[in-house]
Amino acid sequence: MSQTQMMKGILDGCLLAIIRGKEVYGYEMAERLSEYGFGEVSEGTIYPLLMRMQREGLVTSVKKASTAGPKRKYYSLTDKGRQELEAFLERWKRLERSVNEAIRQETNEGSEGSA
Amino acid sequence: MRGVKAVPELSKESRRFIDDLRLYLFSSGKKEEEIREIAEELEAHLEEAERNGKPIEQVVGASPKEYMEMISNEMEFDKKAWMKYIPVIIFGAISFTIIGQLVEDMRLSYSYAILGGSALVSILFVIMIFGAFKYMAARQMSRVKEFLIILPPVFIMMTLFGALVFWDMTTDLPGFELGVMPSMIVGAVTVAILMWVSIWAKTAVLLVMLSAIHVPELLLKLTTLDVTISLIINLVAMYLIIGIYMYFSFKKMKKADAAAG
Repeated sequence: MSQTQMMKGILDGCLLAIIRGKEVYGYEMAERLSEYGFGEVSEGTIYPLLMRMQREGLVTSVKKASTAGPKRKYYSLTDKGRQELEAFLERWKRLERSVNEAIRQETNEGSEGSA
Repeated sequence: MRGVKAVPELSKESRRFIDDLRLYLFSSGKKEEEIREIAEELEAHLEEAERNGKPIEQVVGASPKEYMEMISNEMEFDKKAWMKYIPVIIFGAISFTIIGQLVEDMRLSYSYAILGGSALVSILFVIMIFGAFKYMAARQMSRVKEFLIILPPVFIMMTLFGALVFWDMTTDLPGFELGVMPSMIVGAVTVAILMWVSIWAKTAVLLVMLSAIHVPELLLKLTTLDVTISLIINLVAMYLIIGIYMYFSFKKMKKADAAAG
C-alpha cells in the first residue's frame, strides 16, 4: 500500500482519536484501525507515525510489563495532541463536506451511475 | 522472575527482520537508544501478531526495505556518537601497522602522509561498508551472499592501504618517531582496543588476521633459515591461516543458512 501524504495525515488523525480514549499500545491501535476498515494499511505503518507524533510532543509513552510476552509501550495524548486532534476533526469535517458535496452534485448531473 | 527478560518466541523470519532492522538503522548512524526502543516495540508487535496467526507481511508490508526507510526517516543521525567512533576507526586502521612495527624493531615511526592517508581510507571504508550493510539488511539475503557483498569494500580498502604503504616505503616523507617506551604503551593500548572490538563484534577475524601476519614472522626469526625461504614460508603460512579461518567461518555460515531454512 503506497503511503501518500494525505493518507498519512488521515492516519495521524485516527491515531490521535484512538489514543484520546485511554492509554493504548501499538498492537491494540493496529487492531482497531483494521476493525475500522483500514485493513489494507500494513500494521507497522503506525510506528513511524507514532515516532513523529512523539517527537512533535503530541503523544507521550510509558513502558509497562505485560502478562504475556515482552514489555509494551503505552501511548497517551498531551495537551498539544488534544489540540491537534481538535484541529484535525475540524479540517476533516470541512473536507468531508466538500468531497460529499462535489460527488453528490457531479454524479447527479452528468455521468451514469457508478458505485 | 524480576530482572530476567522474557524472551518472546519469535519466528525465524521475524527475528531476522528485527536483526536486519537494527543493522540498517545502526549503519544509517541512528542513536543506539532509539534503535533499541523501536526494535523492542516492533518485536512485541510481531510476537503478538504471530500469536494471532498473522503473517509478517501484514505488519511490515510487502517491502521490508521501504518499511525500514520509513522508520529511518523518523530518526535523527547521531552526530555525537560518530565523532567518538571516528578516532577508534582510524586507530583500528593503523593498528595493524603499529603491531607490525613493534614486532619489527620495537619503536614506532610514522609519516604524516601515512596517518592522514589512513584516516581518509578508513573513513571511506566505513562509508562503503555501511552502505553494504544497509544494502543487505534491506534485502534479507543469504549469509553467503552477504559475505560476498562485504568483499568489494574490503578489497578496495586493502588496495588503497597497499598503495599508501608502498608510497611511504619508496619515498622519503616527513614524519615523526617515538621512543621504545611510548611505542610499547601505544602497542599495549592497540592490542586492548583490538580485543575489545573483537569481543564487541563477536568475531575473531581481526585477531586471526593479525596473528596470520605476525606469528609466522616471529617464529621464523628464531630459525636460521635462508631469507628467501623464510619469506616464502612466511607468506604461505599467512595465507594458510587466513584460508583455514575463512573456510571454517564459511562452513559455519552455510550451516546457519541451512538452519534458517
